[in-house]
Amino acid sequence: MSVVKKVSIVLAIAVAALLPTVWPNPYYIHLMVVIGIYAILLLGLDIVVGYVGEVSLGHAALFGIGAYTAGVLNFQLGVPFLLAVPASIVVTALFGLILALPALRVNGPYLAMVTLAFGTIIQILINEMTFLTNGPLGLSVRKPIFFGHQTTGTDYYYIVLIALVLTLFVVQRILKSHFGRAFEALHDSPIASDCMGVSVYAYKVYAFVLSAGIAGLAGGLFTYSEEYISPNTYNFELTILFLLAVIMGGRKTRSGPILGAIIIVMLPNVLSDIDLFRQISTGIAVFTVAYSVYAVSTGQRTLKQLALPLLATLALAVSGYVMDNITEQRLTIFGAMILFVVYYLPNGIMGFLRSLVVKFRPQWVHRHVAILEHGDMQHVWSVPDHPVTAKGYLLEARNIVMQFGGLKALNEVNLEIAKGSVHGLIGPNGSGKSTTMNVLTGIYKPTSGEIEFNGKVITGATPSSIAGEGIARTFQNVQLFGEMTAIENVLVGLHHTYRHSLIDVVFQTPRCCKEKDAAEVRAASLLQFVGLAGLANEEARNLPYGKQRLLEVARALALNPSLLLLDEPAAGLTAPDIKELIVMINKIRGHGITVILIEHHMDVVMSICDTVTVLDFGQKIAEGTPANVQSDIKVIEAYLGGSANAA
Amino acid sequence: MEILAQLIVSGIALGMIYALIAFGYQLTFATSSTLNFGQGEALMLGALVGLTLVGHMSYWLMMPLVLVFGALQGIFVERVGVLPALKTKSEFGWIMTTISLAIIFKNVAENIWGHDDLTFPSPLPTEPLQFFGIRVLPMEIMVVVGAVAIMLAVELFNRKSIYGKAVVATSNDRDAAGLMGINTSVVITFSYALSSMTAAFAGVLVAPLTLTGSTMGVVLGLKAFSVAIIGGLNSGMGVIVGGLILGIAETTTGYYISTGYKDVPGLLLLLLVLAIKPAGMFGKSVIKKV
Repeated sequence: MSVVKKVSIVLAIAVAALLPTVWPNPYYIHLMVVIGIYAILLLGLDIVVGYVGEVSLGHAALFGIGAYTAGVLNFQLGVPFLLAVPASIVVTALFGLILALPALRVNGPYLAMVTLAFGTIIQILINEMTFLTNGPLGLSVRKPIFFGHQTTGTDYYYIVLIALVLTLFVVQRILKSHFGRAFEALHDSPIASDCMGVSVYAYKVYAFVLSAGIAGLAGGLFTYSEEYISPNTYNFELTILFLLAVIMGGRKTRSGPILGAIIIVMLPNVLSDIDLFRQISTGIAVFTVAYSVYAVSTGQRTLKQLALPLLATLALAVSGYVMDNITEQRLTIFGAMILFVVYYLPNGIMGFLRSLVVKFRPQWVHRHVAILEHGDMQHVWSVPDHPVTAKGYLLEARNIVMQFGGLKALNEVNLEIAKGSVHGLIGPNGSGKSTTMNVLTGIYKPTSGEIEFNGKVITGATPSSIAGEGIARTFQNVQLFGEMTAIENVLVGLHHTYRHSLIDVVFQTPRCCKEKDAAEVRAASLLQFVGLAGLANEEARNLPYGKQRLLEVARALALNPSLLLLDEPAAGLTAPDIKELIVMINKIRGHGITVILIEHHMDVVMSICDTVTVLDFGQKIAEGTPANVQSDIKVIEAYLGGSANAA
Repeated sequence: MEILAQLIVSGIALGMIYALIAFGYQLTFATSSTLNFGQGEALMLGALVGLTLVGHMSYWLMMPLVLVFGALQGIFVERVGVLPALKTKSEFGWIMTTISLAIIFKNVAENIWGHDDLTFPSPLPTEPLQFFGIRVLPMEIMVVVGAVAIMLAVELFNRKSIYGKAVVATSNDRDAAGLMGINTSVVITFSYALSSMTAAFAGVLVAPLTLTGSTMGVVLGLKAFSVAIIGGLNSGMGVIVGGLILGIAETTTGYYISTGYKDVPGLLLLLLVLAIKPAGMFGKSVIKKV
């Protein structure tokens, strides 16, 4: 972290600490407390919405569960503040777990649908379970007492401020750790992250539970701040406001949620004061008109593009003068704001400011933390997590059938891969080579048949657990984490070497730092091995195609595999690069890693493979040494068509 | 026993309404993998527009007008909310825009028709019919018949007409359909029109049985989510069975446990189905090609 950044954070905290003396008005202090509490919740919500890319419509309900856990414990059992609030975190995280486990099993809008239903049910339950929650009448609690001192509103402000700062640090540390990297990776390319042993499902659940726990903390704090809670607070409108705050403030930032919290707490006040609303809406309209004139005259935007927001802001300003009361229209205004943010401000206010800074002072913004480790040759290799213990073949696939509807992409294929060999897999397009890869790595579950790897049956296991067993792969159509740097891509592959827990991350224990340093040295060494040392801090999507393929090889090696599947590694490589690739594959084999190679460059296949298997229409038609396969009549037929005799 | 039979019969009518709304989710999910989080609001608008129209004309004349209104509303949602999000391939985008359109519709309806629930005059006699001691409202029969009829009509259209083929082709593979000269964007808009139309139709069907007001859509839309997931987002049979299960589960819970808890079994079922068979009871899980 740069010095400027550290100083500005300390300054911001100092200013926040001084605010109650500047505005001693209890009403303002209460507003600031609510902003702080909402900011805590939004920091958690951003993990789900910003990093993992799922929509949660249940955070108001989770907030409510946190509030009621503290409320019920304190009201019914007299549990003190310092126990009730941690209980809120735990209970809410548990509810989050119960929701996330089923809802995140499938891709698609399921989490949004399930959390929406959950939100409604929780409100009903709070209303109905009167024996616990006192139903619609609500619960009253007093602010905490510490050492006989009844905390005041101002005292409580400091408690919330401490909680907010702590949450900020915890969230920041988690997101900068390998956990945060896993969240970004699964959002970027779910398939690749599964095949790197980072289970998409598990980490989505992690993210949601974490986010729920933070919502619980916010809820617990809210109970003591309001001193009275009732079911109707935690409704759908609040959920909408939370989402509006996250996207308007700016996703994937720490400042965005705080800004968003300020906006949504102030918004109802703005809307209830018609004069203030008129001034603000007129201001926005004037700004939009000015910006439009500027953008159209400089040719950045066309009038057509700007017509809709222009009309909308003008309509907003006019409506302020037509109507006497705007509170009734507030949902329309929230809705319009969401539409506006989604279409015209997709990165939120903070993202917008950032892009302005990038425009004028690009050197001020660092999208990635540069990792300046230098690799060396001795750190390239490491022993597999599961050493090879199989007596016979390393991998045996028996009678694999893979059926898509009526089409048998693989029909009774048997495959034996000898330990330490380079095994070629060739065949015309559509013969089932990539399908074989996908079956071996668990992306497809074979219709029938059995796969045994290193003495263990892996048929039906998930891609991430198969990766954990020691099968790494590259992809025919490159599946890198495009928005991450090259070295970060490799670090995702090294995810399995990070054995420390969330607690270690939060406290930055020596173990955590040691593993982090080791992984970075290793990643730099792997990049050096594939010849990408100079491009370590370049975003993967900016690399040329051939280099992307090499990066995939480095990432796969990071998994410490005992079996490496290379799917057309030479595609897109120049002739000298191909020569280097051959040297590289030989070195990989030299370190005891077995390789399965799919390749269309026959010179590559023939020069390095020990055994070659030929597939055609999903069936194995030949197998043997390269020389034997080359002269096999069936193989020639498959490649050149017709009957070899006729030719 | 008689009470149970009575509860089941009432549950069937309720369940068919859920099924009809869930059917609307399926229509758009098939063509564009998106769904309208404001489906409940489409239903509510249909019912309220129908209520206003029914003051000037007969119920049967009002029906086609409401269908047209529903279709237009669906087109609006698709053009404003879904199309731009589809262009940027953002799931987050369309979820947020359809939700925000939903709350705008609800708010507008509140300001036009007020906060109070209104009664919708029933076009059929309100005297219940007796079958073996079970009381059935004529309107309940109409709900079941109407819901089945419109679902059949859409299915027939998809299977028999050339335009329907375009819809089916787009559902199977949007890119390939586009390459074959089908204007998939029009097909998606059409599916939204159809989807909101069925919701508006469900609105005027259910309105005489319940209270009509700006908040009626929220819960119905939500229940239909459960139904769509329980039955499977790609199974026509699934929504009917799912709807019936949920409808009956609710009426029986409402009677035997407490009316306050009648919405709870829906969520429990939903979580259970997702945990056991995520594609839904009748849904086919799709193998994603790499």
